[in-house]
Amino acid sequence: MSESQKKYAVETMALTKKFKDKAAVNQLNMKVEEGAIYGFIGRNGAGKSTTLKMLCGLAGATSGEIRLYGKPLHTPYMSQRIGSLIESAGLYPNMSARQNMIMKAKCLGLTDNGANSPENTIDKLLSVTGLSNTGNKKAGFFSMGMKQRLGIALALLGNPDLLILDEPINGLDPEGIHEIRQLLLRLNEEGKTLIISSHILGELSRISTHYGIIKDGMLVEQISQENLEQKCKSYFQIEVDDTKHALPLITEHAPDIRTEVYDNHTLRLYDLKEGAWLNQLLVEHHIQVYSSGFHHMDLEEYFLNKMDGTAPAQNNANRTDTVLE
Amino acid sequence: MFNLLRMDLYRIKRSQSVYVCFAILLSLTVLACWLVWLMETPQGRQSAVRLGMFSLEDLAEMNVEVDILQNMDILGMFRNIGMDGGLYCSTLGIVIALFVCMDFQGGFMKNIITSHQNRWHYVVSKLLTAGILNFLLIVLLFAFCLLMNLLFHMVPLTDWNNILFYMAWAWVISTAFASLVIAICIITRSVTMGILGAILFGSGIIVTLLSYVTSLFHLGQWTKYTLYYNMTYGPSSYSGTGDLQIFVIGFVFMALYTAIASFCLTKQDI
Repeated sequence: MSESQKKYAVETMALTKKFKDKAAVNQLNMKVEEGAIYGFIGRNGAGKSTTLKMLCGLAGATSGEIRLYGKPLHTPYMSQRIGSLIESAGLYPNMSARQNMIMKAKCLGLTDNGANSPENTIDKLLSVTGLSNTGNKKAGFFSMGMKQRLGIALALLGNPDLLILDEPINGLDPEGIHEIRQLLLRLNEEGKTLIISSHILGELSRISTHYGIIKDGMLVEQISQENLEQKCKSYFQIEVDDTKHALPLITEHAPDIRTEVYDNHTLRLYDLKEGAWLNQLLVEHHIQVYSSGFHHMDLEEYFLNKMDGTAPAQNNANRTDTVLE
Repeated sequence: MFNLLRMDLYRIKRSQSVYVCFAILLSLTVLACWLVWLMETPQGRQSAVRLGMFSLEDLAEMNVEVDILQNMDILGMFRNIGMDGGLYCSTLGIVIALFVCMDFQGGFMKNIITSHQNRWHYVVSKLLTAGILNFLLIVLLFAFCLLMNLLFHMVPLTDWNNILFYMAWAWVISTAFASLVIAICIITRSVTMGILGAILFGSGIIVTLLSYVTSLFHLGQWTKYTLYYNMTYGPSSYSGTGDLQIFVIGFVFMALYTAIASFCLTKQDI
């Protein structure tokens, strides 16, 4: 699909948020396709929550523009297409889970509509999030995991098209994480777009279709799952005394192999099925080989590489485009 | 905005602080009525002597005071019990402070603002809720006073036109005061500051202090345009168009505090 044909649920144009002179979010150009699960990754204080707050209208932008489904954020009724859970679940601690849901339903103006009455929807959402049996227990006495579940149920009320979830699995037990993961995948199958920020990268990598990596308020990279997989694909890493001599030799003997100079002593070779011949070749040409072997990067390793600024400097001829597809 | 109002009314109906504050106001009304009954009615005075609260000699000396009480009507009694001294405004302010700050404390504000991006709606909804609650409290408290008076025959009934006139401006002034508390809560997001503001402004402590300072420079005239002054010294009966000034003062303050609160909320991040 070409860039012009793509429909975006969220687009930000040079979005900037400054606190006094410090930019928490700096010239952010983010594009989230409709129907995507967008994993939003960054260190603490990188600007994730501030960005998500701006998308929800909880924080004002210093400059830049936000468009949701092609329209400005403050278009009437646009906000009703968003369901959000930002930082922690927003709830009234002196009310039960059901009463909190009724409050949100009234806030959204949900009206009785036969089978889809607010009461039925609330029952269904409480059941889906495992809160059916909480009775009259006040939300203030809920465990952190239960509060998160209620926060997710509140975000889902009103059947929003776009779900913005900041650390949704915080405090959940493994069973809860599994349930929420299945729920999010099901919602995505129904056509909802999800933006999820989480520090649990392993979990994020299990559901995300796209990723956005933010560092010091700037979007370092947007990448699709396919491209990420391509980049993280198994590679053959070889440590030699001098890459300047090794690289031309390898390129000469194996022109189809994508190579990458990781540092002065390390080379990474992609699409290589076996590496014994390469070791032999280098040794025959008097290049010292310190170590060699196959590696596979996961999202965490990729993310850490990006954060440390040690992202691979790829061979220009074979460079993969990192723009979101 | 009306969805927000529906939500606020649903919540205030379930808010314990409303019932607690109403019970406190009712208890004070009962206490005041009992004291009036003891001093005002022959049966009450006999009961007071029997209870040992004062002797027959004290009773004879109290005749002058009793004469003062005899000039009071039901509206005067109602005003003296809680309205004029600032007790009612302070109590209403505390309820409103607890109500508004709960949105910030629990974080539900995030859900509200995500669904209603126009933050003026939030402030106006809170003001309307305060107005409705204020109306109910004033009417119920006055009805309770009437009931007590019917039971104990303490003071004569006031002309209904005067009662309606008083109730109307008392509602406007106290709702304007509620808008001040809403503004304090939105700006500070602190329940402590909200309650402190309700007590200090509602009881007139701030106005009295400022009045004292400004009067040193012969600048004390401004106090008659304050909410506290008007609540305490406002007219009990309509005697001319000049008495309508109190409505203007109430509405101006209401609009001013609502605008300040909305402006601050628009500038704040949630």
